Amino acid sequence: MALSLRDSLHVVTDPAHLEGSVEEVFRLMLGVNCEQIEGPVKKEPDTITAVVGFGGVLSGACVFRSGESVARRIAGLLTGMDQPTMDDTVKDAIGEICNMLAGAWKGKVPDLSAKCMLSVPAVVTGRDYNIHVQSPEFSLHHVYSFEQEYAFEVTIICDGLQ
Amino acid sequence: MSEIRTLIVDDSSVMRKIVERALRQAGLELSAVHEASSGTEALEILRAKTVDLILSDINMPSMDGLEFLRQLRDQNLAPDVPVVMITTESSEEHVKQAIVAGAQGYIRKPFTPEQVKDRVLPLLVVA
Repeated sequence: MALSLRDSLHVVTDPAHLEGSVEEVFRLMLGVNCEQIEGPVKKEPDTITAVVGFGGVLSGACVFRSGESVARRIAGLLTGMDQPTMDDTVKDAIGEICNMLAGAWKGKVPDLSAKCMLSVPAVVTGRDYNIHVQSPEFSLHHVYSFEQEYAFEVTIICDGLQ
Repeated sequence: MSEIRTLIVDDSSVMRKIVERALRQAGLELSAVHEASSGTEALEILRAKTVDLILSDINMPSMDGLEFLRQLRDQNLAPDVPVVMITTESSEEHVKQAIVAGAQGYIRKPFTPEQVKDRVLPLLVVA
């Protein structure tokens, strides 16, 4: 009898998959090493949040969040050019980082890889806002640091599992 | 190898630039780089321009990469041009769908310039 994804929840929620995904994306695309750290992230007035939705056997989202200076640094490493302002290039870059994190994470679980789709990224910028999710099935929330001074948050939220 | 005219299809302008950079780092001389943010835009470009290589994302608004491939075939646009998908979708099923739709290669994001070189150069030699 085939197992449902719910029966292999321990595999889906293994934090090592998220750690491996972050490490892979930042190493291959930005050329930097990331390490998981204890939060909270130092608050900046302006923040950016990227969301890529999951649909199919798992519904939910991958959420990337950082302060403006961190986002500009990430975009600069990704593009090879300094990004002095939070412009469309930075927003696009952060959306792509979140897209790759979501894809890499779901690719680590075979049942998710083929049967869970990704949305296009949505990017939100602003001040003094928080994201709330009601009664998630599970969530993984990690904080990472790179180059010893930049920190960001990655959250995998699941609100439905078949 | 002679200079290559390329079409890069991705809804992210940042990713299009990254792909272009990876092609140059792979040693390709690019005489023209056309960019499209969707399959629809890519088809319009191909009706007007000749290219030697197409690299396309899959997940895009308006027209995704797989539908773009099917339309390429149905409209007989760029019939002998190699198409390589560059995408976050990594399952065997997605790779099969891309090959059936007409792709000759597949690169998963995140990627290195070396991976781009390994996938793309053999296709250009054959072409």
